[in-house]
Amino acid sequence: MTKEDFIHLVRDELDLPLGVDDLSADFDHVVSWDSMHMLRLVTAVERETGTRVPVGRLLADRSLGAIYERVSAA
Amino acid sequence: MTTVSSPAVRETRKSPLETLRALRADGTLAADYPSVAPLLAAMVSGGAESDLRRAGNLLVQLDRQSVLAARPETETAVVALTGHSTIGGVRAPLTAEFARHGVLVENRLGDFDSYLRDLRDPTSALHAPDVDLALWILDPQTLVDEMGTPWRADDLVRTAERKLAQIGSLATAFTRNSTAALVLNTVPLPRSVTHQLIDHESRARAGIAWRDFNSGLLRLALGNPRIHVVDLDPIVAAGVPLDEPRMAAYAKASLGDDLLAGYAREVAHLSRMLRGRTKKVLVVDADNTLWDGILGDDGPDGIAAATTFRGEAFGTFQRAVQQIGSQGILLAISSKNDHEPVVQVLKDHPDMVLRERDFARVNANWQPKDANLRDIAEKLNLGIDSFVFADDSPFECGLVADSLPQVAIVRLDEEPALHIEKLLADGWFDTARLTDEDRARAALYRTESERAELQENSGSLEEYLQGLGVRVRLTWAAAGDIDRVAQLSLRANQFNLTTVRLGVEDVTARAGDPDHLVLTIRSGDRFGDNGVVGAVFARSAADGTELHVDNMLLSCRVFARGIEQATVAALLAHARATGVRTVHASYRPTAKNRNVRDFWPSMGFASTSTTDDGLRFRHDLADLPAVPAHILLDSSLEGTAS
Repeated sequence: MTKEDFIHLVRDELDLPLGVDDLSADFDHVVSWDSMHMLRLVTAVERETGTRVPVGRLLADRSLGAIYERVSAA
Repeated sequence: MTTVSSPAVRETRKSPLETLRALRADGTLAADYPSVAPLLAAMVSGGAESDLRRAGNLLVQLDRQSVLAARPETETAVVALTGHSTIGGVRAPLTAEFARHGVLVENRLGDFDSYLRDLRDPTSALHAPDVDLALWILDPQTLVDEMGTPWRADDLVRTAERKLAQIGSLATAFTRNSTAALVLNTVPLPRSVTHQLIDHESRARAGIAWRDFNSGLLRLALGNPRIHVVDLDPIVAAGVPLDEPRMAAYAKASLGDDLLAGYAREVAHLSRMLRGRTKKVLVVDADNTLWDGILGDDGPDGIAAATTFRGEAFGTFQRAVQQIGSQGILLAISSKNDHEPVVQVLKDHPDMVLRERDFARVNANWQPKDANLRDIAEKLNLGIDSFVFADDSPFECGLVADSLPQVAIVRLDEEPALHIEKLLADGWFDTARLTDEDRARAALYRTESERAELQENSGSLEEYLQGLGVRVRLTWAAAGDIDRVAQLSLRANQFNLTTVRLGVEDVTARAGDPDHLVLTIRSGDRFGDNGVVGAVFARSAADGTELHVDNMLLSCRVFARGIEQATVAALLAHARATGVRTVHASYRPTAKNRNVRDFWPSMGFASTSTTDDGLRFRHDLADLPAVPAHILLDSSLEGTAS
């Protein structure tokens, strides 16, 4: 999954208006982010890729970029 | 535009979700709010349920005030939510599901796990006077969190009993302190609960206790018309998971997003039902909808609704349609065929479950289907917005959706085994309870065609009415009439002078109050009995010298036969005989009741004022209107109308 695919998925599934720059921003600077967003994003990624993502470890991450790194490694 | 068949052009045609997103991007979504419902309808009928979920995420961010500023006529609803676990996930689907019905919803979400406070405290947001629906979302943890660890089956039995009693008393208290409808739900039994018990005996006892809890919840709704219970078991049985274990573990979301979406759909239909917007007519296509094959091409011997694999699936669908029809929903056919062959199939084709007598109208012709739906609405004297249309042809579904957006579309496809699921996916026909009139409705409408025949053979309207032999019976509403009167108050749109909708509780309260008068109107004629067709609500004031008619309503089946005039004549005679000096009445305009605007003046009422809320009238009882000569009136009221 490319960064662009990932950003597209975030926009499409969560209806959050994100740019590629937002990947590295802390969640506090990203519009109304909460843990449900994270979990929905993960299920969307899993639907897309067919691979299970280890959610428990993602919860400590503070940016979408970090999530993307783990997701693309999964 | 160039050719429409080139793939390049087809790709540029926006999907309903893309159109919705474009409206948002252009900043015109609020002003274009009326276009939202048809876009969402297209997502659902096109099978794009995941797009509906995405649309919910978009719409939940839309500013309600900007919609109301641009479109003040938009219908609104206030929904307050409370629960034990994380239920925020229901907001987006609720927003989308209400928007499908054109309703702009405001979701008020309580704090996490605040349900006890929300329900106990009469000043909580759940009790706010403008709340229409209060959703108390129950989940498995509501029980599990109170069982302690380790637990035995007995702990579950006791917890379930205690919790049910608590829910019962909190729910009953809520309905006393609030005017909102309270919505509970049954709680599906998780495998992660049953299988923590390793012995089968305990597992069986736990299973019984859990079902008793759910049965008890359903019984609460039977005992109190203000309590509604959404049964989640059928949604789970259809393959929707109870939860997403990681969301349950990490975000305390005990009910999964898809289950909450299914729940939201039921709630939106419940809201629609409470507003009296129930659908009354199901129009079905024939070829490849009721039977396998095309009658015009294959002939009667080439179509099937039994014996073959596919044929049997169509027969099963016919039984489901008949089942809907047996509960008061009128059935009609709109088919592109010659009329005679379709009628012949309904008469004598051996495979048919549905017969000619099951249909209030059979429109088989070559006119466009939107024109046929309009024709059926006109012949049945029902609003086109009370129609559901089921067809396997994407073209016909698209045509009706474009031309008559108020019609609900059930888009069937080439797989007849899925017809029933598609027909029942939305609760278009949901109603609070059935009355005898509902069960007899199809027969009542059938006699309409015999009446129409008499009318055609009569020289004048007077001659027709004389020949009809109309009987009207006016009585005080008895206990057995309450359900039907409340139902009429919710269903009647055209002859409904003030459109004040009254539920069973309101009607019961009025019927038991000596200052109030609740009358039922029954009618019949030589073709049969019409049952309870109308009601009058009035109340006595100024020491019995004034009578205020709050509302009068009449089923659209029976207008313009003199029944309404006979009723008012008897009511005014009763008023005069009981010492009333002035009768007050009013008319409140709605989109549907324009035809009765001049009803009170036609009965000798004088206009007293015109306000934003409607017209007011009075009658001084000096000169009473007469009962129409062709009517045989039987009134149990005091005073004789002449």
